[in-house]
Amino acid sequence: MTVLRAELRKLAAQTRVRVLLLVCLLGPSLFAVVLGLQSGLPKDTLFGRHVHDSGYALPLVILGFAGMWGFPLLTSLVAGDIFSSEDGHRTWAAVLTRSRTRGQVFTGKVLAACVVATGLLAVTAITSVLAGLALAGHSPLTGLSGDALPPVRAVLLVLASFATVLPPLLGFTGLACLLSVVSRNSVVGVGGPVLLGLVMQLLSLLGALGSASNALLTTPFAAWHGLVREQPFYGPLWQGALVSLGWAVVCLAVARRVLLTRDVT
Amino acid sequence: MLATVAAVAGVVVRGLHKGFGPITALAGVDLEVQPGTVHGLLGPNGAGKTTLLRALLGLVRLDAGRIDVEGVVAGFVEVPGAYPYLTGRQNLEFLAALDDDPGDVSEALDLVGLMDRADTKVSGWSLGMRQRLGIAAALLRRPDVLVLDEPANGLDPQAARSLRQLIAGLTADGLTVLLCSHDLAEVDALCEDITVLLAGRVAWTGTVSELRARPGRSVLTTSDDVLARQLRPRAMAATDDADGGLVVLGDTAAVDAYVLTLAQHGVAVRSLRQESLPLEEAFLELTR
Repeated sequence: MTVLRAELRKLAAQTRVRVLLLVCLLGPSLFAVVLGLQSGLPKDTLFGRHVHDSGYALPLVILGFAGMWGFPLLTSLVAGDIFSSEDGHRTWAAVLTRSRTRGQVFTGKVLAACVVATGLLAVTAITSVLAGLALAGHSPLTGLSGDALPPVRAVLLVLASFATVLPPLLGFTGLACLLSVVSRNSVVGVGGPVLLGLVMQLLSLLGALGSASNALLTTPFAAWHGLVREQPFYGPLWQGALVSLGWAVVCLAVARRVLLTRDVT
Repeated sequence: MLATVAAVAGVVVRGLHKGFGPITALAGVDLEVQPGTVHGLLGPNGAGKTTLLRALLGLVRLDAGRIDVEGVVAGFVEVPGAYPYLTGRQNLEFLAALDDDPGDVSEALDLVGLMDRADTKVSGWSLGMRQRLGIAAALLRRPDVLVLDEPANGLDPQAARSLRQLIAGLTADGLTVLLCSHDLAEVDALCEDITVLLAGRVAWTGTVSELRARPGRSVLTTSDDVLARQLRPRAMAATDDADGGLVVLGDTAAVDAYVLTLAQHGVAVRSLRQESLPLEEAFLELTR
């Protein structure tokens, strides 16, 4: 826990993390302002046609957009740099000669990346709901089955939908940590997961992998679609959570092994 | 295996082997550092000095061998790192948070003369200031053994002198220092003992005065310098002395044998003066 606290303090001092927080705080409001000024609607996205009818549609539109590349980028900007920045700043020698073991340092850094990713997701969820309410008020939301969801149920479903992207978000956190440790290069650590996420999205869109696309880390980002229906279904949620857990465990196990056995040169 | 740490006197290194792929960095290094002393580590580039320091700090895995250290080891290799977006004080506070029993941050900053810049971001600092921050970070660990790699690198003469005084003061308090440096004047001023590494092996180890007392120059004047030059052993280098006579390089036994050879050939030795080499020449002679 001492490493986690120290890492969080260090991350809080980074301009990049502060900018990310600012984007998550203001981004949804700016998006709402742009939509308010436009006559057209983002009809090609789920709930896009309802953004002026219900304040609960806007956060789901944002969630749909962010799942494409926003969330992988968001977590990669922190996790993809958290190990390789020690190489870049030549600080491993100072860090790894303290009382904490390499394993404790690894765990603390991974937890710090997870905490920041989760925090930024929570901030995005709350500011999206507030921006949506400011744009269109709290009228009932029309669900994917065409049913009207009353405001209280709608807000709970919106927040639950944001919560369902936490597992793949943490899966991408693990992937970014792995690339950060192995490459020792922040460009690879940050850009790699985003690029891999886009490739996964592309493979899904092309249908090139068939049912194997369920094993991709980007697929669980759409699992929330099953929640906003008259008869919700949870299969994709559980499957997505397991897939994300698998990616996170494998990536972090390899990253840990590499960090614990590598020569610091 | 990572470097092992056990309670023994000072630092004892036995049979250290380390390779990086096809490159052998250390090929069976033995080293003993007495507690409370400053031990110099010398050698040309690529001799294995930095790898040895990394091994002492537990940063590289050993292929073979053993390192026994009394207490806590801290220090830095090459250029000490720092987080540029944090202030000097924040850098040390971060590192102190990773220690069980850290020293006082302000005290460490004061010790290296950085108090006046402690609350500015490191991104604007000079190399010399970063060096001093690296030393402060190592001292914050409350080490028993301090490992320093070119600590005076980037320091102005005033700061370098302060650093030497600091190191001397720390050893007087019982700290053991392993100092790697190309600055032989610094080594001469600080170190009691020296180990010279060459191609991953220990080429020589002993006190500074012993290094100086190694076979140096012998200046001879003889009854026939031309014949004397012809009679010298092939392995013995010889030049003319500026003040007259013959300068030969070799240990005492070699010079004795040479003098006897001259006598057997009827060449009288009128004077023989043996000179110790300056530290730099002794080092160069050793690593030639």
